[in-house]
Amino acid sequence: MSQPTTHEQEEQSSPTGGRKNIGIIIAFAVILTLLGLLAWGLKKAQAGPLDKGMAPDFSITGFDGRTVTLSKLQGQVVIVNFWASWCPPCREEAAYLEETWRKYKDKGVVFIGVDWVDTEKEALAYIDEFDITYLNGPDIGTRAAQAYNIQGVPETFFVAKNGELRGVHIGPLKSPQLDEKIEELLAEQYP
Amino acid sequence: MIADIGLITLTIAFIFTVYATFASAYGGWRGQAAWVESARNASLLAFPFLTVSVIVIVYSLYVLDFSLAYVYDVSSQAMSPFLRVAALWGGQQGSVLFWAWLMAGFVAVVLLRKWERDREMMPYFIATAMLTTAFFVGVVLFITNPFMRLWHIEGVTEITQALFQPANSMPYFPEDGGGLNPLLRHFGMIGHPPTTYLGFTGFVIPFSFAIAALITGQSRGDEWIRTTRRWTLVAWIFLSIGLILGGRWAYDVLGWGGFWGWDPVENAMLMPWLTGTAFLHSVMMTEKRGMMKKWNMVLIILTYSLSLFGTFITRTGVISSVHAFAKSALGPAFFAFIGLTFIGSVTILYLRWDTLKSEHSLESFISRESAFVLQNMLFLAITFAVFWGTIFPLISELVTGAKITVGPPYFQRVTGPLFFVLVILMGIAPLFAWRKQAVRALGKAIWIPFLASLGIAGIWGYAHRMHPASILGLWMAGFVLSGILAEFWKGVQARRTTRNENPFTALFNLIGRNHRRYGGYIIHLSVVLIALGFIGDANFKLETQGTVSSGEFLTIGDYQLRFEQLRAYPGSDGREIIEAVTTLSQDGEAIRALNPRRDYFTVQEQPVTVPGVYSTPGKDVYVLLVGWEDSGQSATFKIYVNSLINWVWIGGLMMIVGTIIAAWCNPGQREATYVLKPGALTSHSLLQEG
Repeated sequence: MSQPTTHEQEEQSSPTGGRKNIGIIIAFAVILTLLGLLAWGLKKAQAGPLDKGMAPDFSITGFDGRTVTLSKLQGQVVIVNFWASWCPPCREEAAYLEETWRKYKDKGVVFIGVDWVDTEKEALAYIDEFDITYLNGPDIGTRAAQAYNIQGVPETFFVAKNGELRGVHIGPLKSPQLDEKIEELLAEQYP
Repeated sequence: MIADIGLITLTIAFIFTVYATFASAYGGWRGQAAWVESARNASLLAFPFLTVSVIVIVYSLYVLDFSLAYVYDVSSQAMSPFLRVAALWGGQQGSVLFWAWLMAGFVAVVLLRKWERDREMMPYFIATAMLTTAFFVGVVLFITNPFMRLWHIEGVTEITQALFQPANSMPYFPEDGGGLNPLLRHFGMIGHPPTTYLGFTGFVIPFSFAIAALITGQSRGDEWIRTTRRWTLVAWIFLSIGLILGGRWAYDVLGWGGFWGWDPVENAMLMPWLTGTAFLHSVMMTEKRGMMKKWNMVLIILTYSLSLFGTFITRTGVISSVHAFAKSALGPAFFAFIGLTFIGSVTILYLRWDTLKSEHSLESFISRESAFVLQNMLFLAITFAVFWGTIFPLISELVTGAKITVGPPYFQRVTGPLFFVLVILMGIAPLFAWRKQAVRALGKAIWIPFLASLGIAGIWGYAHRMHPASILGLWMAGFVLSGILAEFWKGVQARRTTRNENPFTALFNLIGRNHRRYGGYIIHLSVVLIALGFIGDANFKLETQGTVSSGEFLTIGDYQLRFEQLRAYPGSDGREIIEAVTTLSQDGEAIRALNPRRDYFTVQEQPVTVPGVYSTPGKDVYVLLVGWEDSGQSATFKIYVNSLINWVWIGGLMMIVGTIIAAWCNPGQREATYVLKPGALTSHSLLQEG
């Protein structure tokens, strides 16, 4: 296909026909593979992010070396925020997240920042820029992102004291959305 | 209720489009002109009915009929009348309606104008184009209907959306709506969606003609290409304008100091643009030499498929993007439709492959023909690289279980060298002769531009020794630029000597006598100017960030920014503005005041960063207000110096001018362009032959 066919080639019908059949098999194989891939991607996208049930467990090692495991935080309210340094909407919420963390950090609330498909240098510059003090670490192998089936960043998941998901917020958080959610989760009874 | 009228006309339009699809296919198959004529009338009528639906929505947006869920979502009292109207494409429901309307409009205009000339292809043209239109109208009607109303059902706290009144419910009229996303309230974003949609929907015309040509066997000749050339140019220029306005919007509003970020949404537009550009060039080979018919078919099918593919991956969340899209119900229907389009077009192409034989073969490796083959390969290679980078997260997640997103560096490294070769080719290929180019004659034609470009690159290189990569880029730009200008110069000189015209008349007449050629050159010039913007962005960008107190300076390059104070005041469209008063100086000398600001949209609770920009042809100083402390006594700024960036916008304007010239009818050629072949009215439908 890539070269214009010459007169000589046209007269030899059988090789052209053979080439044509191989070509069409390849073309259909490529199209069907692509459609299969899209169908799979669509199925995942349609499922949407998790927003209820037990929060999938994950461990994350922060840029500062601290490691935290979600299941070991039961009894506390956990805010899991997915972000990336290359994401402009994330910048809109960064200051508000940090401010809310400082407000609640001594009241039984844990913040986990999950840095999604990012480079460490830019991520550290971002953390430095917004003076972020809660635990932030890279999502190695995008395991946490897949467990929560995120669609993009920023996305924030709210985990109750008993380890259950209590909803997800897609897009940047604005004051006082996070405060309200935290107050609601703190008010829940935990044995 | 006026909204009911819109819903009724939308339903009628849907019935017409479905009817037209089947009636034309049946009429073509059985060779019954009455069915085709009836299908044509139905297609023509679908457009005015859709127009009524669009007018109803625009009117509802304008008068703020908040009982409609769509109006409630995207319009608000604080918005200016102009923005309310533009909110037609501010949300998904309106966008898809607008899209379907544009497509129906394109098809209607084609049917009004070209019916007599290509009668044989028309049944299948109508069937293909109307199938697509019916799909989009169907999506508006059944999946994402803008005429949904808000209802308050007794005992249910949440407000329900429904077309018809649910049991035990009362209509609900909110006092005010949410309003258009503040990021979209910018001239680039107001113009970007309509031009992009015009580009995407416009490609349905050449695509449908191509499919009709294949089915009828007209693909042996080049009439379908002559008929669609202008339509392709129209679609292409709108897509180009869409890309440029999108870049301008990103530059002004997104606040990262750039205009192109290789985001999936941007790539989705770039891919059909690339293959569409290749198609526009490649068809010349069929017109002049009867060659590359297979290429043309593959390219137009690819262009159309890629525009559907791009819309699909970005609108359904299959590929995640920085632009966080909500879950959309479009997915399964859209998937079925693109599957049908891909498989259907490739099957027809396969069955008709033998009609696409070349009438000539390549005679020399250095010829206009081989240059076209090379340019097609380069365009396809770039498209494939962009495609691969865009779907890579999906592939990597399937294969390795980890989603790996390839960033801008991948795209720059892979496509950069290919674009470089392509631009060089753009400079020299127009000088090649058809069939065979004598190397000696080529050398004679390019030695002056070549030396001129070496001179420019040398001087530039000396001045910018610290940026060696830019020297190569500038040599490329200089070479192509001087090559094209030399062509104009030669043409003008020839007219001056033979006709004794003054230089301006000679230039005017030169372009007037051959619109396609010189319009094409002007477009090539504009590409070089846009390339300059990319060269500046890649090599000379400076950036700094810092917090300064009132009266202090931030320095970047030879510029200094002095922060005076912050001030707050209410703005239009329901926004509170916090503005920094700063003075920009160069080498200690004050140039002008800059006011970077943060607009806070109170209803949406969303801030928008508006940069303060000092713009010159050479560079932009682009200042962002990042934040402030101590109740405005100190503020944090981010400053970029973007070299050569304005040439992107200048090149964009020039591209529009060039395209208008290239698409203009040449005097005296109008009749000759459309000669109907004798016997063209006898039918050879695919089904009869098969």
